[in-house]
Amino acid sequence: MVNHKGYIVLFLLPTIILFALVYAVSMVILFGTSFTEWSTGLKPVFVGFSNYTRMLFEDTSFKEGFWNTALWVLLQSTLHVLIGVVFAVILNMREFYWKFARTVFMFPNIISGAAVGMLFLCMLNPDFGVVNSFIRLFGNSDYAQNWFMDYATAFLSVTMTWLPYAAVVTILILAEIAAIPDSLFESARIDGASEIKINLFIIIPMLRNIIGTCVILAGTSMLQKMDIIMMTTGGGPGNTTMNLPMYIYKTAFMDNDFGYSNSIGVFLICFGIVFVLLIRYLFRIGSQ
Amino acid sequence: MRKVFYKSGGTIASALMLTTLVMSISACGSNQAANNSTTPTNSPVASSKSDNHSADQAPVKIKYLTYRVGTHASAKLEAEQIRQFNEKYGKEVEVQVEEIPSDSAYEDKIKILAASGDIPDVVMGKNGINDILIKGNLATPFNDYLDKDPEWKSEIGEEAIAANTRDGKVWSISDQKQNIGYFYNKEMFEKAGIQPAQTWDEFMSNNEKLKAAGFVPLALMTGENAWTTNLILASIVGTSGEAGNKFMNTLHPVDFNTPEMIDALDKVKTMLQQDTTKDALGAGYANVANNFCQGKAAIIANGPWMIGDFSDTTKCAAGFDQKVGVSAFPGNGMISSYEVGYMIGAKTPETRDAAEKFIRFKTGLEGQRIALELGNVMPVSDQVQPSEEFKQKYPLFVESIEVSNQSKIHYSAFDSIVYPNVTDAWKLWYPELVFNKSTAEEFAKKLSDIAAKNK
Repeated sequence: MVNHKGYIVLFLLPTIILFALVYAVSMVILFGTSFTEWSTGLKPVFVGFSNYTRMLFEDTSFKEGFWNTALWVLLQSTLHVLIGVVFAVILNMREFYWKFARTVFMFPNIISGAAVGMLFLCMLNPDFGVVNSFIRLFGNSDYAQNWFMDYATAFLSVTMTWLPYAAVVTILILAEIAAIPDSLFESARIDGASEIKINLFIIIPMLRNIIGTCVILAGTSMLQKMDIIMMTTGGGPGNTTMNLPMYIYKTAFMDNDFGYSNSIGVFLICFGIVFVLLIRYLFRIGSQ
Repeated sequence: MRKVFYKSGGTIASALMLTTLVMSISACGSNQAANNSTTPTNSPVASSKSDNHSADQAPVKIKYLTYRVGTHASAKLEAEQIRQFNEKYGKEVEVQVEEIPSDSAYEDKIKILAASGDIPDVVMGKNGINDILIKGNLATPFNDYLDKDPEWKSEIGEEAIAANTRDGKVWSISDQKQNIGYFYNKEMFEKAGIQPAQTWDEFMSNNEKLKAAGFVPLALMTGENAWTTNLILASIVGTSGEAGNKFMNTLHPVDFNTPEMIDALDKVKTMLQQDTTKDALGAGYANVANNFCQGKAAIIANGPWMIGDFSDTTKCAAGFDQKVGVSAFPGNGMISSYEVGYMIGAKTPETRDAAEKFIRFKTGLEGQRIALELGNVMPVSDQVQPSEEFKQKYPLFVESIEVSNQSKIHYSAFDSIVYPNVTDAWKLWYPELVFNKSTAEEFAKKLSDIAAKNK
């Protein structure tokens, strides 16, 4: 038996070094400085848990940002994944349009977030935006809904810039469906199962692991979402579309309070870890 | 034999791949002293030690970040200043220019670099950057340089120097003076039968007359830094009396809950609700400039740098510059202040001297002349006057100087006096005012709370 352990360690070493230098060291510094008062140009001063008590008990903007983030994680990990799964199952039927539909559905995911934000900013402009212009065709020539700045529509408008575009989920699900042995489908058809029953009772149950993975990917993507929010609403109106990444940016660069923003960063990391562990437990990812 | 061959071949291949991986990591971290490098280069100490200036040796390298690139209104003047500096002093100083795509990206980058203590050699101290550098002991005052160069001192002027002096130290050198009133569409005013207002009541009444004539009165914006809206807000406060004028001339106010501020917010709330374009809420500068240039609004508050746009057919209709007039704000007030300008962030004597040379060129008479001719920027010195050709091309600029000379009440813009987080807060909280979710008093209190976060 040839011993490959040496080679395994050797080839993993660069990755480990990179991870340690870029991520691990940064996380240790992040955690350490979350207990300090630290502004640009000044040395960090240890202040104990005051950043955390302020965050959890005093800061209403943090609470609004947290609930928005939690809601987006919930929506993205349920509706977004559901859209992707349904689309994948439909595409799997290989109707005549399936390649075209797969390509077109991919477009929003290959454009950068900043470009998507700019696109929606123009499309939803109250004056010349295509959405309002289209609505005006149906009679109301004065229609000028401010989709991003009206409290009633801001959250929904921002959400719609990413929720329906589940091409990555679709691609992953399609790949997993392709790995299901054809013999299972043949057996089911011989037994008289309809296509719907095959989808519901064979395909989808066998996608448990990949759906769980997609839920994790979709949910955790909301813990990093900042580009589109910055391009469109900036977190406003008020804190209606503020999320934790955006709030971390504002606390660090606008309030010049790096210590406090790092404590929010630690909270965000913990939130992400809890979410991943919960989804792994619910979907029993990795178990047969 | 084959097994041995494959085993040793595999070992060699593995070693080669591993070496490549490790080298790629170390290459990522190596210093790249290219002109367009996006990562900070070697520390100035190391570079200056290897580039000690003498007539026979390489020029001193200084790092300079600029956001005045691309479509920025000051891109041409920036490029010309750098070009002329390189022509004149290129053998002594090499300016390594890094282009940053926007003002906000520039501010963020400088703040990140300041947090690690590695700022560029020349820094524009706008929007709170000067506070950060001064507090962090990252900037070098200009006092010694100015004392040794009385000619430069006179080219800048005592007022401009005083505007950027704190505790006797001159931390930055201003590159331009802001003289801001508002531009109006003369045709629309004529059809509405109005003249530029002398009082704020008349201003509000003029808005009604413009609407009655079928025009949208104001090009306002609440996005980005709510620039055009806040110029009007500042003017209402600044012309309201002694207390309001003092408020608008005080650096870093923390209490916005004043009668002048509340009255001004109430007026601006009305303007945002009734007297502006449909996209004002959330609009950025590009939207609002376009609204005025395309004849969708009658009035825009802005500075003289916009004058060049009126004759630019890529931005405004042909002949639009003939339709534009300029006026002081009601109460004969104008925003008049000196920009923060340039700071020395260099760490060694050689790079400090080189940075000073670069800043001296940009802010001296030559640099001011370039800024005026190519950027319509008001010079800080009275010694710089527009050429006859410039006056012919931009008569509106001449008119704006006359209006500025006649104005009696002066104050600063909000961007010049408030903390950066207050500048950032307008876009989030103006909708609260407009949608009646906050009163003017509550809005003022919120601004005070945000200002109080600064340490």
